[in-house]
Amino acid sequence: MVRSALAQNRRIGRGPISAAAYVPAVSVIMATLLSALPIIALNGWFPDFGFLALIAWRLLRADVWPSWWAAPLGLFSDLVTGSPLGLSVVVWTSSMLALDLLDRRTQWRDYWIEWLLASLLILLHETAQWQVAAWMGARVPMSSMIPPLLIAIAAFPVAAWMASRLDRWRLGRS
Amino acid sequence: MAPPAGPRPGWSRRAQYGLFFSFIAAIVSVAIGLILLAFSIAAPGTFKDLRGLALDLTTPISVPLHGISATVHGLASGAGDYWDAASQNERLKRENQGMREQLVAARAIQQENRQLKGTLRLREQLPDAVATGRLVGSSFQSPRRFAILSAGKRDGVRIGMPVRASRGLIGRVVDAGALSSRILLVSDSASIVPARHLRTGQAVIAQGRGDGTIVIKPLEVGRNPFRPGDSIITSGTGGLYPPLVPIARIKRLEGDNAIAVPFAEPSATSFAIVLRPFEPEAMVTRAQVGQELP
Repeated sequence: MVRSALAQNRRIGRGPISAAAYVPAVSVIMATLLSALPIIALNGWFPDFGFLALIAWRLLRADVWPSWWAAPLGLFSDLVTGSPLGLSVVVWTSSMLALDLLDRRTQWRDYWIEWLLASLLILLHETAQWQVAAWMGARVPMSSMIPPLLIAIAAFPVAAWMASRLDRWRLGRS
Repeated sequence: MAPPAGPRPGWSRRAQYGLFFSFIAAIVSVAIGLILLAFSIAAPGTFKDLRGLALDLTTPISVPLHGISATVHGLASGAGDYWDAASQNERLKRENQGMREQLVAARAIQQENRQLKGTLRLREQLPDAVATGRLVGSSFQSPRRFAILSAGKRDGVRIGMPVRASRGLIGRVVDAGALSSRILLVSDSASIVPARHLRTGQAVIAQGRGDGTIVIKPLEVGRNPFRPGDSIITSGTGGLYPPLVPIARIKRLEGDNAIAVPFAEPSATSFAIVLRPFEPEAMVTRAQVGQELP
């Protein structure tokens, strides 16, 4: 009793960290930079970490950033990952717009619906990537996109968990 | 149920307008993105300076970390080699003996070849190395197969130059920054290399499949000439890749074609050599025609 009274109550007087509004965008940039890791793979089966972080944050909070922020973040991702310039700009921003429109329709949300939405967006992203590669002369069979799709869908909960941890930290609630 | 009129952030006009303008800005960004994408697909060279700059910005991350990953890879494969050292030693000794015999024969042929070429006054431009670098990264998140090489414009690397390792062909440069460059690997589906079947001398085409393997297509119609274990080398046709560079070894047959595995596995390659285009004149013509790189 005495001990607990003497212990400092850490929950009082703690607010959001400074620059809390920019933590999500910075975390997306950091996730994008993971593609500069010196991994030399025979097949591109790793998920697009930047995109996963983006939709994880957006599904966690609707007002995490104005939706047009996805455009410069996507441009950065295009430049770092070496994908054709404009691909991520289009896909990232249009997924923000799609989620904005969906938010008006949905009455309630739970974990499974979030995962389903994320899976649909990941499917859209992979399809766009595949189609643009095909237009640029690098057509691969659609079946070869299934393993990276499944891996990205399986990796989404990890991204969502990290986004929620970062959210608690930036708002001073952990 | 009809959706409500829209998300209203309260009665503040300022907040309402903010939301509205961010929506408009997002739509405009998608339009700009589509234009950028159209340019990237139709004219891939448009943003080459910007892409080169971005490559340089990520180099400080890739290069130091590469040392760590190379050490881990070396330890793993080194441990694997110890596993069956005795039988491996036996096999290597046998192979070594065979190779020595072949080497003597090859030397004799080379000498004869040099004399014959001398009599024919055949002068070939020897491909000389422009720069050497390490492969420090790859496009492990996309269906395309690119690698990052730690040598750039400062070392003389230019877009379009062929890249090889000591074991075989790696690909060609598609983006060049000052410090590093991006390489289209031979296993990318957009990479097509004019090649030759070493055993029969038949002209073939080696096209990547996007999963680390290459499909070998014969140019002549007829019986499938390939056998598992055959080697494929560059032919020098087209003027980009120098001739006689090993590309891949055939693993299995598939209909009229064969599936092959590159000799120079990018993950196991320590150094890559950037070469001058074999016949630069041919490259200039090709660029003028407009069939430049994807």
